[in-house]
Amino acid sequence: MTSSFKVPVAGLGLLCACGSDVSSAFDGALTGRAYFALPAARVCSTYTSKFPVFMVPPADCEGKPADITYSQFFFVQAAKQAFAQAGITPQQLNAKRVGVVVGASVHPSFHCFEIYKNWKTGHFTSTDVDGLYDYLSSPLAQWISQYFGFSGPFQTVVTACAGGTDAVGLAKSWIETGLCDAVLCGGTDEISQSPYDGFIRLLVSTPQRCKPFSKNRTGINLGEGAAALLLTHPQLAKDLHLPCQGYVLGYGNAADGFHPTAPQPQGLGLQRAFAFAMRQAGLTPQDLAFVNVHGTASQANDLAEATACQAILPGVPVWGSKGVTGHTLGAAGAVEAVLSLQALKERMLPATVGFEEPDENLHLIPTTKNTPIAKRFAVSDSLAFGGCNAAVVLGASDAA
Amino acid sequence: MLPDLYINGFACLKGDADATQCAPYLDVRSLRRAEAVSKNALLCACQALAQARLTPQQRADMGISLAMGAGALSSTIKFMDSIVEDGDELSSPTAFANSVHNSTSFLLSSLLKITGPCLVTGQMDASFAGALLTAQQLLAQNMCPQVLVTLAEDVNPLLAQVLQKEPHRFDPYVYQPQLPPVRVAGALVVSAAPTDTTRAVLKNITLARTDDTAAHTQPQLAVQSCAHSLLLLADYLQTPQTFDLQEQFAGMIFALRGEPYVHP
Repeated sequence: MTSSFKVPVAGLGLLCACGSDVSSAFDGALTGRAYFALPAARVCSTYTSKFPVFMVPPADCEGKPADITYSQFFFVQAAKQAFAQAGITPQQLNAKRVGVVVGASVHPSFHCFEIYKNWKTGHFTSTDVDGLYDYLSSPLAQWISQYFGFSGPFQTVVTACAGGTDAVGLAKSWIETGLCDAVLCGGTDEISQSPYDGFIRLLVSTPQRCKPFSKNRTGINLGEGAAALLLTHPQLAKDLHLPCQGYVLGYGNAADGFHPTAPQPQGLGLQRAFAFAMRQAGLTPQDLAFVNVHGTASQANDLAEATACQAILPGVPVWGSKGVTGHTLGAAGAVEAVLSLQALKERMLPATVGFEEPDENLHLIPTTKNTPIAKRFAVSDSLAFGGCNAAVVLGASDAA
Repeated sequence: MLPDLYINGFACLKGDADATQCAPYLDVRSLRRAEAVSKNALLCACQALAQARLTPQQRADMGISLAMGAGALSSTIKFMDSIVEDGDELSSPTAFANSVHNSTSFLLSSLLKITGPCLVTGQMDASFAGALLTAQQLLAQNMCPQVLVTLAEDVNPLLAQVLQKEPHRFDPYVYQPQLPPVRVAGALVVSAAPTDTTRAVLKNITLARTDDTAAHTQPQLAVQSCAHSLLLLADYLQTPQTFDLQEQFAGMIFALRGEPYVHP
């Protein structure tokens, strides 16, 4: 399906290890600056002396209410930035059909480790019951919708590490099909016991800073944060005189059906996701300024992704940003979509922080220096456990 | 425009499947390491797909929209058990891999050879409604010709035990706390146009948030669960009549109209 429907993005918000807003995070991507630290204050694990992660700096976590999770807190901060940039308050949209679509992995799972441990070891108290109540009463997207006073549909997308990209793609679809006038979408995730230990035990985490697509790459670093995008129907944007930060133009998704935790080696599912998204956007690879890849720096991910990029997007510059954000799991796709839109806006493509030396098996060299760009379109993609693959096509605000 | 959803196959299961029930459809040895919640969903998917009579190519091209209210709880708890009992340096990587929502969708896509779009919704009560909305979007965008909408609901043993002692502590987020928790699964094969096997059509699917958190619907299940909507749908589909499924609880409204489909 080729769609001529361009969904405008009125506002962007971002909070992650490389910055507390979109501008500072993009500056972090250009300079390599990020908060990369051991998570001892947040996770109780014997690994915390060895495996650092990309964290939201403590100063940006100040003010978090005790009865909400970091995932909720991060997303609210990012969403407030998006509304501020759009020059509109949530209340001004309350009469409209406003949906919420959010990708996440930790919050929608039963990762109440301390509560569970207390129950298991006979130390369960009424405080833990309160914690269970909080867990049950705050399905993420519904809670966000309630927080901002919306009454439209809501959806928490839990396709693991592809959730953020899927959320942006679904939000585009919700507007295009007339389900909503506006959609607050994005992703959010936090450093938490289960994924922290889990990725280490799967032997895909590294104690070093990650080196996407490098021959000497040793694995992934987890990250945390949130990204929010306020998408609107073009007519609503016009009626409310909303600014335009860019467009969402295409969305593709396809399953590998290959392995529970590893991508299909040729990235066949990702190839189909790329192809559908590009077809929907009506673009060719020659139109693209870059593709922001998943680029986790795991052996399997980088191989599959490099192969898929060469097959479907040959010659398109490849930028990986996890060297400054870490792998923010369900937030990753949204974080990278926001960074990509900012790169188009600033006409500057950052270097792939962490890349050191080419891997002859990949036949792919990502960006090695910050480079001015003239083209006005980009692709951002994600891969996930279970063989889920997703891609979105983005356009600059002045894209023809 | 959002399409109506034509139901071309439907199956529902309350309780646990025996893996041998999948024998007519696939090699059951491939299920040896699968969790009960995933096996239940797989059995329902197999039964629904058999009713829909799809060719291998049609099946390969279809999409998956999976609802999991609280995720893969059994594996999540196994992983936390392994940390508590053995220490994080001996915790189970297999349990961790199975604890992500995608572990169930992977079982569906790999064993049923489905390689179209695949999305999972996880938001307690509203998960099934979200999965139906996603199916509509996939069909509206021509991302696939049919969608396997699946539901896989696991049991939370911690919550079940706490409920025994304090049944009303979680009002209005837990229903019928006196009932024993049970796993539920279901599957629908849906399309945007009728096929030879269409038996009903779902229209006017609505999911909205409300500030009213009182439970106006009394579900049949213990513990907060996205499965009660599916069980209601299963009841309605037993009768050849038009029905309105309307549920309101815990700050959400879910509604749809179902009509039997009469082949011309």
